[in-house]
Amino acid sequence: MQSQTIPNNLKISPYLVFYVIISMQIGIGVLGYQRIIADYAGHDAWISILILGSYIHLVLWMMYKLCEMVNGDIITVHEFLFGRFISKVVSFAFILFYIIYLLSFILNFIEVIQIWMFPDINNFVFSLFFLLLSIYIVYGGLRTVVGICFFGTILPVYLIFTFTFTLKYADFTHLLPIWEHNITELLQASYHMSLTSVGFEAILFIYPFINKPEKSKKWAHIGVATTTIFYTVLAIIAFSYFSKKQLENTIWATLSMWQMVQFPFVERFEYIGVANWCLILLPNICLSLWVASRLLKRATKLKQRKGAILISTIAVIIVTLFEKGVDIESFNNIVEQMTVAFVFVYIPLLYCLSLIIKKVKT
Amino acid sequence: MIPLSIWDKFKKIKDDGWKSLLKQSTDFQSTYYFNEKTNERFGFHFYATLVDEQIIQESALPALLTKKFESLDDLHKIVPIADIHILKNPKDIEQKLLNGYVLVTLDSDKNRFGFIAAQKEIVRSLSQPEIEFSVIGPKEAFVEAIGQNLNLIRKRLPIKELISQEYTVGKLSKTKVAVLHIEGITNKDNVDTVKQRIRNIEIDTISDSSNIVELLSDNSNSLFPQLLDTERPDRVAAILAEGKIAIIVDGSPHVLIAPTTLIEFFSAFEDYFLNWIVATFFRLVRFFAVVFSVLVTPVYVAAMTYQYELIPPDLLGILVTSRRTIPLPPILEALFLELTIELLREAGARLPTKVGQTIGIVGGIVIGTASVEAGLTSNVLLIFVALGALGSFTTPVYKMGNTIRVLRFPFLLFAQFWGVLGIVFCFCILIAHLLRLTSLGRPFLAPIYPLRLADMKDTLIRTPLQKMSKRPQVLRTQKPKRFNKKKAETPKDIDE
Repeated sequence: MQSQTIPNNLKISPYLVFYVIISMQIGIGVLGYQRIIADYAGHDAWISILILGSYIHLVLWMMYKLCEMVNGDIITVHEFLFGRFISKVVSFAFILFYIIYLLSFILNFIEVIQIWMFPDINNFVFSLFFLLLSIYIVYGGLRTVVGICFFGTILPVYLIFTFTFTLKYADFTHLLPIWEHNITELLQASYHMSLTSVGFEAILFIYPFINKPEKSKKWAHIGVATTTIFYTVLAIIAFSYFSKKQLENTIWATLSMWQMVQFPFVERFEYIGVANWCLILLPNICLSLWVASRLLKRATKLKQRKGAILISTIAVIIVTLFEKGVDIESFNNIVEQMTVAFVFVYIPLLYCLSLIIKKVKT
Repeated sequence: MIPLSIWDKFKKIKDDGWKSLLKQSTDFQSTYYFNEKTNERFGFHFYATLVDEQIIQESALPALLTKKFESLDDLHKIVPIADIHILKNPKDIEQKLLNGYVLVTLDSDKNRFGFIAAQKEIVRSLSQPEIEFSVIGPKEAFVEAIGQNLNLIRKRLPIKELISQEYTVGKLSKTKVAVLHIEGITNKDNVDTVKQRIRNIEIDTISDSSNIVELLSDNSNSLFPQLLDTERPDRVAAILAEGKIAIIVDGSPHVLIAPTTLIEFFSAFEDYFLNWIVATFFRLVRFFAVVFSVLVTPVYVAAMTYQYELIPPDLLGILVTSRRTIPLPPILEALFLELTIELLREAGARLPTKVGQTIGIVGGIVIGTASVEAGLTSNVLLIFVALGALGSFTTPVYKMGNTIRVLRFPFLLFAQFWGVLGIVFCFCILIAHLLRLTSLGRPFLAPIYPLRLADMKDTLIRTPLQKMSKRPQVLRTQKPKRFNKKKAETPKDIDE
């Protein structure tokens, strides 16, 4: 078992994990998750978010246990448990996972831009510019990537206050009666919430880069709790603002709520909101690119600089092929199944397995 | 006092080869005298333009002529000047002569050379700071002479811990560069980095400290200055006490400060002379001015080109009316006005002050009004551009002001491409770039990222002096505490 040694000046402070978690969790899903979960659990769907949130805490705890076991990232864990060959295979699976993950962000964001701002924005040009910027950031190392996570969390905070505009028209009786749906429905909603809530698994890969990782645990959990509360509150606001029928027809509930926002100098706030999402997505894309290129480096000895360019090129080509007409909905379904399988099923299984193997080995 | 020899005669006397190149300069003088007591012949060689003749006439020569002068060691005894060296290596001759020393040779002691300091310093008198002018506070600014600048700083920090180390940079210019720090406070790594980088500089001439900035910067391709330059001795003294390093370059009235952060470029030193609430208010005004100045024209272009729905109907009415007769698309209109302002600024900067002012008035008022009346630009945009220009001039550091002025052009281009989205995208690029920047290896965006809440006391806000009892954490100083906070503020109970 050879664990990477990271020089101290490249490591990040434990508290920054808080921002990494939040910025990775909040992505494109926030713009319209309310309708999807309401389809299954109606106005009780906010309970599903809380259920999922508690499960995430558990999975996060397992992730830390796994990494602590070998004091390295998830690849080291596999190397320790199953040997080098399997760990290589798993590396490639993760690379693929992160490329798809990255693609889902760009594709969905392009769709949002096309629907809300520019009907004819060019897939190729946009993804090219966005990935060039991401490469520039990734070249700065993890510290720069985490810096982007930090600003991607801090700067858009003001957007939270814009949701208070809808409170004037909110009718909280929509939420009553509580617990009208049975547990299967709630869990179904939780399942469909998962794509919006993932991202925290990045901790598996950046673990060796955290200075005093045991101290970062607290921050990771605070981060997850913050997003869960944010999602719950936002869902409650949406459920109380939209009627049931309205919500069924509102794909981007969060964006639609911004239409209520009015300032003396800004008429349609959703433009600013959508443009701002650029800053919120950037950390997701950069960290995904960083993780993918890092794994590629570990698996093939390809320089991370070249790996980042390679992965970005692939991404740009695929995004260009996805011109209008291709069903993003079904792509998202695949991504959803994939993330659920990896984060919520595989990791707990791996944890249990590791306990058994450790017992056998000792 | 009979000058005994001229060059032809001197040539015949067997001597080292050191004078062959020197004699080509007409201002190089070489004379021989006899000592009255011992009748020893000694030579006096110097660059007439570099030495102070008064020192030679009144102190050095009379002493050497009349007092007993047997060997070069006697120089220390008989010449009433402190800076005297006796060296053996003929290679030192050139350097010493060029530094304003007088070379004394003694016929009976040909292997050694005596040097008497007689530098002539041409200094201009102290003037007021022009770029970093402040209404209140000290009114002295640095000058070009390194000695005088050091004097100004030492007077403000009369402690032995203030260390000044001199280096010579530039193969031809031989510019003196002094690195200043306070021993026991300043982080040693930072000092070593600066020294190392100065030693590694390979260049022929240094004209100004700005050249040093470019050579020391971590990323010389960046739009942002990574070393702070100042002309205020009070600022340098305060910043040295904070645990930073000052670099004085001979021949430049600007002293460099390293490491620095982005925030520092937006703080005027006058802020520390004002009441802290007022100072904080001014800093916030400056911050908004800069943001406004960078973003106002791009937002105008974005809104007028793509997202006009962004603007409420009442306001949109005004904008549309003002643009009704304008034939140009918003981007050209904006570029036209922005470039006009740049032209005015550049013309004003290159012309003598009085002509410059006239140009400013003619340009500002005449061109502005005329272009609106001619229907080339809308008057609303004229207001925005003028306000934006005003905003960019509020930055206290001149070089950062230039950066801000250039910064709006990429924003304008992206606004033209993608409207509001382009502006946010360009903002992302800016943040990414700033995140990657370092000054002497220390993060440029500190204390925002990495977040150091304790350092936030002196950023966009300026807290009372007594609250700032700690040195910035980013600097990793050897003594994190400036003074004892508890001693500084002893809270009193009512009516005590």
